[in-house]
Amino acid sequence: MSLAFSQPWGLLLGLLAIIPILKSGQPSKAYSSLAMLPEDPISSWMDWGLRLLAGLAALFMAIGIAGPYLREQWIEKIGTGAHIVLLVDRSSSMNENFSGTYLGGSSHESKSSIASKLLADFIDRRPQDLFAVVAFSAAPIYVLPLTQDHQAIRSAVLALGGRGHGITHIAPGLAMALEYFSGQPVTGSRIVLLVSDGAARMEPETADALRQIFQDEQSSLYWIYLRNLKGGKLTEAPKNPNESTTPEYYLHQYFQSLGIPYQAFEADNPKALQEAIAQVERLENRPLVYREKLPRQDLSGRCYAAALVCLMILIAFQTLEVKAWNL
Amino acid sequence: MSLKEFHYQIAWRAKGGHPGHHPGLQSGGGFEFQGLVPFTSQPDPRNLAIRAMIADPNQPLLVKSFRQRAAIPVYVLADLSASMSFIGTTVKTALLAEFVAATAWSAWRTGDPFGFYACEGEIRWDLSLPLRLYKGMASDLHNRIIHFQPTAKNANGLLEAASLLGRQRALVFLVSDFHWPMGQMEALLNALIRHDVIPVVIWDSGEYENLPRFGLAELRDPETGQRRRLFLRPSMLDRIRERFLARRIELTQLCAQRGREPFFLVDQFDPDAMTQYFYQS
Repeated sequence: MSLAFSQPWGLLLGLLAIIPILKSGQPSKAYSSLAMLPEDPISSWMDWGLRLLAGLAALFMAIGIAGPYLREQWIEKIGTGAHIVLLVDRSSSMNENFSGTYLGGSSHESKSSIASKLLADFIDRRPQDLFAVVAFSAAPIYVLPLTQDHQAIRSAVLALGGRGHGITHIAPGLAMALEYFSGQPVTGSRIVLLVSDGAARMEPETADALRQIFQDEQSSLYWIYLRNLKGGKLTEAPKNPNESTTPEYYLHQYFQSLGIPYQAFEADNPKALQEAIAQVERLENRPLVYREKLPRQDLSGRCYAAALVCLMILIAFQTLEVKAWNL
Repeated sequence: MSLKEFHYQIAWRAKGGHPGHHPGLQSGGGFEFQGLVPFTSQPDPRNLAIRAMIADPNQPLLVKSFRQRAAIPVYVLADLSASMSFIGTTVKTALLAEFVAATAWSAWRTGDPFGFYACEGEIRWDLSLPLRLYKGMASDLHNRIIHFQPTAKNANGLLEAASLLGRQRALVFLVSDFHWPMGQMEALLNALIRHDVIPVVIWDSGEYENLPRFGLAELRDPETGQRRRLFLRPSMLDRIRERFLARRIELTQLCAQRGREPFFLVDQFDPDAMTQYFYQS
């Protein structure tokens, strides 16, 4: 335990506690001879009890004045999951449903709203994990860094369910997602969970840079590909391979070449999406050791409370004191 | 202040030659027939024993001899240690003053010389009186004692006073609360064995009878300076009462072995009770 005092000189006042222990506060009555009175263990117990209580009250107050607190401390916690960066596509194509029909900005059936709801459920089921959120369309949007505040993450993810804009530009999003890991201790698996419905061509320089970062950060990558029915599959080579018409296939190829744990899930309906998320969940259930910071805790209130309890008992006994000898 | 008066008597003969009120050993003018002595030894023709001379005409002249009544010294030895400062139903020193004044007055009325020793750790000579016939000292003595604040740690002066009482057998009122160890008590009574000692036990009902029924009391012993917190409750009061009753029996036995039972002076001094004490024993 790391106990410390904000005003240690207050402890000196604790020495005063010796006064009520040595001398009781009750005015005394001169009696002719105490030797004439019978021994009474109950009386002497009460006497010592009350003196100690008075001493304790003084001591607690002195300690309270000294302002004890527990230093901020790190505690090790074991999580069952990982550090997960949710990299969510916010391009305009996410406003469509799985069949590729545009349903309007406020629709609840769009890919983005379904994905955000399912992701929110996913977050709820993993209370021990750290999450971060990056949204991306033409440019990445810094939403939340790695945090355990699930309330905030959940709200952020749900907010992504709204209407999207712009094109899918995946490389800066990945770069930003990976940036979250830099400088963090590696206490467990790191995951970038990419949720998108398409891809775009990537410059070779960017691709090389990303490859380097992926390896530096030891992150694994899961890609939940929200494929519409007309879109190309990741595993089948398109009939006329061209990076500008079927970028998903090439991106998949590129991811596989990264040399990191990588898995892609194709989801072409809400159920498949749910399944894909469940699969990610199963894969990432390894225990995770991480440290959490507890803020310093003020203990003076407890000292005052203890002193108050002592004083209340003393007051109760004070009412029992004999005021006049002859009634 | 009206002085209280009691009557006392003794069960022994006083050796002293001073004429007085008590049965004595000296022959002289009295009414107690002692015997027949030759006329030559007490040539007082008023006491010629006519009947004895008729009974035996061959005898020389005989006279009747009588015993003379004598005066005895009366002392009060008072314990003025701090324990006598107890204030309960009454003030113990006031009770003591009243008793001493009554004794001094009664001694004067009986015709006996009176002496007073106020004893702390040593004898307080400023309060004490030598053995004299006093008429007007009683009320003065009363004032002096009542304004005295006892603070002494013990009453060892009593032993010293016991050695100052003289060889003649005296009537000694030993006034104290007798809250002493039994050994000390015995030593003092042994030192006074020559005299007729009447232990007068000054107690206050506030000490053992008239206590607060319930509560916490902090008591201080003025002699030892000790403090004790006492949780008063009915069972505790019973135990205190029993303790004092046992003490009373103990004191009575110890004193009875040496001649007289103690006189218990509780809360107020009743001179008739004192008289009764003398005429019952």
